[in-house]
Amino acid sequence: MSSFRHTLIGRLTRDPLAVMAIVIIAALVVMAVFADLIAPYDYTAMHMTDRFAAPSAEFWLGTDNLGRDTFSRLLQGGRIALTVGLTAVIISGLIGLVLGMIAGFGPRWLDNALLFFFDTLRAYPTIILALALAALMPRGLTTVIVVVVITSFAEYGRVVRTQTLSLKHSEFILAERAMGASFGRIVFHHILPNVLGPFFILAAMNLPVVITIEAGMSFLGVGVPPGTPSWGSTLKDGFDHIRQTPWLILAGGLPLILVTLGFTFLGEALRDQLDPKLRSGR
Amino acid sequence: MPKTEMHRAFPVLNRRQLLAGAAGVSAAAMLPVKAWAQEGRLNIRVYTEPDDFDPVDASGFGEALLYGAIYRNLIQYESGDDWSYRLDLAESIEQTSDTTIEFTLKEGQMWSDGYGEITAEDVAFTFERILDPEMNSRILPDVGTLSRVEVTGRYSGVFHFDEAFAPFWWIALPYLAGTIVCKAAIEDAGGRITTEVPPTVSGPYRVRELRPGERWVLERNEDYTGDIPAEYERLDIVYIGDEAAAEIALEAGDLDFTEVSPGSVARLQSNPPAGTAMSMHPSLFYVWVGMNMEHPKFQDIRVRQALQYAINVNAIIEAAWYGVAEPSTGIIAPGLIGNRPESLIPPQGDPQRARALLEEAGVENLEVTLNVLNDVTFTTAAQVMQATMAQAGIQLNIEVHESGSFWTLGVEADGDRWRDLEMIMNRFSMLPDPSYATAWFVTEQIGDWNWERFSNEEFDRLHREAGTETDDARRDEMYRRAQDIMEESGAYRFITHGVTPNLFYDNTVPGTRPDGLPLAQYFRRA
Repeated sequence: MSSFRHTLIGRLTRDPLAVMAIVIIAALVVMAVFADLIAPYDYTAMHMTDRFAAPSAEFWLGTDNLGRDTFSRLLQGGRIALTVGLTAVIISGLIGLVLGMIAGFGPRWLDNALLFFFDTLRAYPTIILALALAALMPRGLTTVIVVVVITSFAEYGRVVRTQTLSLKHSEFILAERAMGASFGRIVFHHILPNVLGPFFILAAMNLPVVITIEAGMSFLGVGVPPGTPSWGSTLKDGFDHIRQTPWLILAGGLPLILVTLGFTFLGEALRDQLDPKLRSGR
Repeated sequence: MPKTEMHRAFPVLNRRQLLAGAAGVSAAAMLPVKAWAQEGRLNIRVYTEPDDFDPVDASGFGEALLYGAIYRNLIQYESGDDWSYRLDLAESIEQTSDTTIEFTLKEGQMWSDGYGEITAEDVAFTFERILDPEMNSRILPDVGTLSRVEVTGRYSGVFHFDEAFAPFWWIALPYLAGTIVCKAAIEDAGGRITTEVPPTVSGPYRVRELRPGERWVLERNEDYTGDIPAEYERLDIVYIGDEAAAEIALEAGDLDFTEVSPGSVARLQSNPPAGTAMSMHPSLFYVWVGMNMEHPKFQDIRVRQALQYAINVNAIIEAAWYGVAEPSTGIIAPGLIGNRPESLIPPQGDPQRARALLEEAGVENLEVTLNVLNDVTFTTAAQVMQATMAQAGIQLNIEVHESGSFWTLGVEADGDRWRDLEMIMNRFSMLPDPSYATAWFVTEQIGDWNWERFSNEEFDRLHREAGTETDDARRDEMYRRAQDIMEESGAYRFITHGVTPNLFYDNTVPGTRPDGLPLAQYFRRA
């Protein structure tokens, strides 16, 4: 039992912020995965006589402009958000990890070139870059993922590069080199494990950002096609019909708030636990 | 930073001054929203941005609204509930034979900025530019069989036609093609107006500033010599594509007049925002779903017909137009010559018939893409279509476009996108003559406005002959047959003419055409 208390999970369960984050995230994941079982209605079914219905026992979160059940659509929206979020974070994270380590380990000119590339991408306002890219590509979930990957991998690259550079010149790495350790051993046994901590913290913090970008693109009409129940589309429907009902925009905003809170709390809790300086300060 | 410098950079307020300032700001915030907006300034919303000062390049209602304010015609549409026109630059104008119209200009009508008097030379120059093949004018169809304009005196002239062309009175003279331009100014500009603001104007307003994507700022034209002077010191034509955003802008006091979405009608009628009024007008617009006949998916007429039957127009109108509009029978609205009493395919469609047609054509799992404007009415309609077409086993994908992208989808001059274009939900503006509807679907318009790439010899002949026919009963028959041909081709599913609900502040008397579209020059204070 005492060994569990000292594991990462064990430490997280003692942090109220982390527990709240885990509960929120778990609830969202369960609802997204089992959306078909939980949803009281087919998310595409139109009930034209019940348009803009307020929340009730029949429609828990009300209905939209076509009489579709908002709760059922939000559950499906959770699937889209998690699919886009996880896929984009994994792909952009991997690209950033590889490029960041190349920059950190590579020759000076390559580091400078990659750094210039990362900074150029990061200099563009994310949503403007996303809109420009979306205008050039066919509309759909794949495009949204590609856009999010392009707009976010530079951040991972920058963080990994900085970590790699600082580790590369640390004494224990120099000692390993002096003892004749191979390049692969240095990278996979020493650098990578030390880079992963900040990397995961960034990934956790970045997931809600990615989900918000998807929602923002759908809200602006360049994300998923109309009819697809993404949270951003629900927000857009809510905006379009805000004079008819306030419930749609509230319902569309609520999961975005929760997912942002959940992953931000998780990221902070991970940072507190994984950063030795912060841990020793506690 | 020394204290003296700090004083210069940040004025120091004492407690009393701070409280007085706060009170002032609070009082200003409590002023009625319209307190500043109505002081000699009018903001009219336009749903499509005008993109050219030069009438020869005009393409739609955005320009018509702008030109009405800054230019003049021989005759102008009257504001009101009945279609009529009034003399503007013309002192007299009459049809002297089937192929001639004679006009005499009022004397002393001036161009601004020292360009002198408006003469018959300007009138002739205006129409000859449109006729000039090198100008490649998109409004050439509006002038029909016009062959030349003869100048018979400083203020008089004669329009000569190859054949009679009755629509000229309704679709050319008072609209885009009839917007008289200044010959001297155009020649100074090298043949086309490409300047930031027009070098000269003749209407009650002039252009002060253009903010692309946002607004056209007009101000009173002090050189105006007509009989409808500017009512406002400043008139802004504000571009807001989205109706919901426009409603919010009006309620915030940023607009004085806007068309609102059909979905808002019930709410606005039962609970109008303070100080506003609403008017409803029968629209002449026509909305339809078209299919690109040259696309491989739509080569077989049975596939096109299946799609026609798979679309439930009643459901679309109920959902997207909130039941305030009626299904249309074609492109010509009720009340106009050529309106059909009913369409060939019933508005409710027939999913079983659609399935049978697809089976007959040997097509399984048909997947098609519908292109629509990013507008809540159209995207809602598209989603209803998606649901009803699924009942016929057809998967409908929806592509939404911003205005700039949408209006070039089928235009050959703007790239190759027309090749991949499958289905389009489209809406065209309309004038009170049926030839203005059929003009865009003739063979010559393929790749310009005819995005279905529909080509039919009989249709082309009917359009041509109906334009020169002077017997109304005969014209009626010809235009009805023309719409039958369109529908029989399978490339068109007619949806509705819609309605035009306008919302405005009651200290404004809007000037509108009978179909509800604004005529900026007629707006007055209540």
